[in-house]
Amino acid sequence: MRKFFSNPAVREGLRVLIAVSSALLLGFIVTLFVSEDPLGAYKAFLLGPVSKFNRFGDWIEESITLIFVGLSVAIAFKANLFSMGTEGQLLLGALVSGAIALFVPLPAILRIPLAIIAAMVAGFIWGWIPGYLKAYLDANEIVSTLMLNAIALKLYDYFLIFHIKPPDAGYNASDFFPKEGTLMSFIPNLPFLKGVYTLFSDKTNITIMLYILIIAVIAAYYLIYRTPFGYKLRMIGANIKFARYGGINTKRTIILVFAISGIFGGLAGAHLSMGIHGKLIANISIGMGFEGIVVAILAQNNPLLIPITGLAYGYLRAGANVMERASDMSREMVFVIQALIILFVTAERFLPTIQKRIEIRKENNTHMEKLTPSDGGSHEV
Amino acid sequence: MAPLVDMRSVVKVYPNGVIANNGVNFQIEKGEIHAIVGENGAGKTTLMKILYGLEQPTSGEIFIKGEKVEFKNPLDAMHEGVGMVHQNFMQVPSFTVAENIVLGHEPTERLFLDKKKSVEVTEELSKRYGLYVESDAVTETINVGMRQRIEILKILYLGAEILILDEPTAVLTPQEIKDLFKAVRVLVEQGKTIIFITHKLREVKEISDRVTVMRNGKIMGTMLTSEATRKGLARMMVGREVFLDIHKNAMKRGKNMTAIRDLSFVSDTGRPMLRDVSFNLYAGEILGIAGVEGNGQTELVEVLTGLRIPAAGRATIGEKVVTGKTPREVRMAGVAHIPEDRLTNGLAVDASIDDNLIVDRFFEPPIRKGLLIDYEEIEKNGEDMIKEFGILTPNGQLPVSSLSGGNMQKVVVARELSSSPKILIAAQPTRGIDVGATEFIREQLVKKRTDGAAVLLVSADLAEVMDLSDRIITMFEGEITGVFPDASTVEEEELGYYMLGVKRQSKKEMEALL
Amino acid sequence: MKFDLVLKGIFSAMFLASIMRISTPLILPALGGLITELAGAINIALEGIMLTSAFTGVVVSAFTQNIWLGVLAGIATGVLFSAILAYFHLYLETDIILAGIALNIMATGGTIFLLYILTGDKGNSSTLASGMVPVVEIPFIKDIPFLGTILSGHNIFVYAAIVLTFLTYIMLYNTKFGIHLRAVGENPTAATSLGIPVRSIKFIAILLSGFLASLGGLNLSMAYLSLFQREMTAGRGFIALAAVYLGGRRPWGTFLAAILFGAADALSNQFGTLDIPSQWVQMIPYVITILALVIYALRRKAQITEQTKRFQERELTKVNNNNHT
Repeated sequence: MRKFFSNPAVREGLRVLIAVSSALLLGFIVTLFVSEDPLGAYKAFLLGPVSKFNRFGDWIEESITLIFVGLSVAIAFKANLFSMGTEGQLLLGALVSGAIALFVPLPAILRIPLAIIAAMVAGFIWGWIPGYLKAYLDANEIVSTLMLNAIALKLYDYFLIFHIKPPDAGYNASDFFPKEGTLMSFIPNLPFLKGVYTLFSDKTNITIMLYILIIAVIAAYYLIYRTPFGYKLRMIGANIKFARYGGINTKRTIILVFAISGIFGGLAGAHLSMGIHGKLIANISIGMGFEGIVVAILAQNNPLLIPITGLAYGYLRAGANVMERASDMSREMVFVIQALIILFVTAERFLPTIQKRIEIRKENNTHMEKLTPSDGGSHEV
Repeated sequence: MAPLVDMRSVVKVYPNGVIANNGVNFQIEKGEIHAIVGENGAGKTTLMKILYGLEQPTSGEIFIKGEKVEFKNPLDAMHEGVGMVHQNFMQVPSFTVAENIVLGHEPTERLFLDKKKSVEVTEELSKRYGLYVESDAVTETINVGMRQRIEILKILYLGAEILILDEPTAVLTPQEIKDLFKAVRVLVEQGKTIIFITHKLREVKEISDRVTVMRNGKIMGTMLTSEATRKGLARMMVGREVFLDIHKNAMKRGKNMTAIRDLSFVSDTGRPMLRDVSFNLYAGEILGIAGVEGNGQTELVEVLTGLRIPAAGRATIGEKVVTGKTPREVRMAGVAHIPEDRLTNGLAVDASIDDNLIVDRFFEPPIRKGLLIDYEEIEKNGEDMIKEFGILTPNGQLPVSSLSGGNMQKVVVARELSSSPKILIAAQPTRGIDVGATEFIREQLVKKRTDGAAVLLVSADLAEVMDLSDRIITMFEGEITGVFPDASTVEEEELGYYMLGVKRQSKKEMEALL
Repeated sequence: MKFDLVLKGIFSAMFLASIMRISTPLILPALGGLITELAGAINIALEGIMLTSAFTGVVVSAFTQNIWLGVLAGIATGVLFSAILAYFHLYLETDIILAGIALNIMATGGTIFLLYILTGDKGNSSTLASGMVPVVEIPFIKDIPFLGTILSGHNIFVYAAIVLTFLTYIMLYNTKFGIHLRAVGENPTAATSLGIPVRSIKFIAILLSGFLASLGGLNLSMAYLSLFQREMTAGRGFIALAAVYLGGRRPWGTFLAAILFGAADALSNQFGTLDIPSQWVQMIPYVITILALVIYALRRKAQITEQTKRFQERELTKVNNNNHT
């Protein structure tokens, strides 16, 4: 039994579980105070996404975007690069895919892949820029990516308002994408699937992006763990000096990491425009880029776990939506719960084992930091 | 009169079992300049760290001015007037000189900093002790000599009576050293007491009143400097107590592997670390570089392995130039490198053992299979290495951090040796690891050499250098001071003279043998 | 012609005065960002703190019908929020960026959540009778033509921003605390070796930034506007950080950089009347910040190569001289 609990992966999983449960509990306590029907409200929150089919669809759709974003973030974070740039990559991905869906006169079979690829390219470029700045100029990537996010937003708004929006529109949104630019449902419209097809396409908006997502997850996994590039990425994340000493070209790899992370961000944008909304709107994403960071961290930057944390996170979001419609609680409470989860999970000292606690106390009682040079078995005696 | 500082029966044992100080009795008289000399590992820095409060003795007592004291941290020691000038300066680069000197205890006028007073205090101290500094200069723009004076003035400001200088001349130019010594004399005139740790015997003779020699954690002797000779000191520093048992076949020297010519290198702070270093490396031979750390060995290794670019000179393997190239190119030319700091460069401790073992070969078959890397191969490689090199671990997927120091080093050694290198550069290969691993690694080095590789061994452990090497070169202050073609015929005292700059072979003498 | 009018508008006193007002909610959090950046504990949660304070100020002032209680409550909330950040980072060892992101999310969601509960409206607090802080007319100055319009007649936060910039400068460069703070940020090992309490200083720095950000938030909801709107900070907390870097991490530089961002915002509004897309003007400060990053990095590199080259040359000539003798 003790061995089970001493396995670091199990301990980590337990920590996440306790953190999430604590956050949910706190959320419930808040609900008790605020709502007239706390049990009903929280029930709607916890069970909402699976109570009706269209709600289930909402859940899956939200999660798809979140998983794309999570993958984008995880790729960079795994290399110890704090890219905050997914938000901007996502916006530009949405923009170019939307533009192509609306305006490029090609049949659907060409237009849609083109739009998706364009989104990937846009994301790649927008990721390449901070990558280059980091690799060759050691420019702080947090500042540069935040700035690029802001610039991307301005570009998006500009093109939407001045070039894409129909001149007589009342508010800032494009027309709906034409049929040739609309993604079809993920269930093919085949005679023997008629029943399933109608069910999904009527009640939900889950498109073929689902398949692209699955490919993306597998691709990300293989990329990180099964390619030479992924090895370089992981070693740079583990110890960049070791990577250099061992012969890895760190500059080139860093740029590629940012750029490839951007590809996934672009795909998230394509999903938002072509999958969820079917048109370009103002405020198409508010902070999705940051929520993706949470998804990635909870999954410890492991692509195979991101679908799980993405779905879980998406579930919370969808549940909050249901709760709002079905009760007097507003959906924003879920943000508070999300924030608590992040805080609890990332606090390294939250829930340490008893042993660690004793060690920590001893450490605090001893004197100042030892001022020895970095200890590699340094033998200055 | 009772000594100013009296350390009695000090014993310090580190958690890894190393006995750094073994029953040391050490006294300092007021107003003297006392030098402590010894090789790396002799115990001198540890002893001073204890006096300074940075470490606590395992047992033993310290008395200052006849009163027993217990220092839990350097601030306690400072309280009693003991201050240390470190080798790595504790300064804030963007502050002015005066600001750094008074940092932590700034003079204030009501709520605000009294900047004028800071400058006044600085200038006053500077003048009184003859330690010239520019109070308003920004610290990151000034030279090393002045930066060191800041450290000294800092502890004088805090009231230090006993100043411990740790290898103070290591970072200084000859002129700066002269200035430092002038200042030291003034300090003593003003009633201060100076202890300085060094391995530069010339300087001991020049500046100190008394000198203590330490070796292997014990004090070998204390004497008046006037009665000591550099030869005598070197002899006391360098004697060996343990004879290692290494079996070596006779060397069969092969063709000239590598020609290293006129390598020069200057550090970021402007000090020449390598001066015209030239030698050859031959296949089937272990060439050992003996010398106290800090005399250019680190830079030499870095230049030869692509981690630094030399200011001048080059190294060639056959026709190929290998200086100024990337680490990848150097490795591809057949060079393997066991780095002196395994935790910084040699390993990624959070990554798995398997992953650490393939950093030099992950991009080629058999590890690389088409566009992917082959996990089975990686695991197999790990298994083979673990078995062959006796790495103590249940499996190769565990992170390197789960291993002991000796086993960590075995991972490094396993990786580097298994790449079938033509040239193996091993820097401090057995530092900080247990006896078993040490023996094993040394055997591996000898095996590689007998199999025909050229091995360059850089080690501060003289016994190791003498027993493993076929040929020995001594380095002092960035230059080669001597070459000994047959390691088995030279005595450690002799080597000690060359390592410590007491003796020096002429260029002509060395030419044929390098 | 339209362009003519716009130009006239830009150089009018009204416009320049408006720049001051628009920049204030940038200057205040930027000062907070500067303090934490210099202490080595950059506060990414400025956005969230501003939002929370803006909300609290409105709510408390409405329910107590007392502006100053509202302001006080807003400040208290801001400081409390930053205390949470400090605690999680310094005592529970959460990465400060992650903790900051969490608090931002909590603030965005929490304020809307509470807004709904208190007003039944998720958009803004217009149903609440919240207050506005007084506007200050400086005697004599207000009567000077042109300058009078620019300098007088602003709400108290505008003047607070100027005064606080000055105070921040004094604190950082003329007090013991300030110099210790900068030491902690630049070389914590050195600071520790001299007995400077690194953790306490970082904690206080974060609290100070919370205080400053709360003023910025209150400015938005109780001066610039007279109510709370969802997400009304609109990224100002992040622009504040950009201003810190653009301003070279110094108080007056940050002040000017924040004004630059504010001016771009104000300008873009003017241009709006010309059918010139405001987005291009709004982009300018962000592009400039990136350029500033690049230039700074290039300069640093040039310095290092320059220095190393100088040393190498010096040594080589010495070596050559030795060879010739």
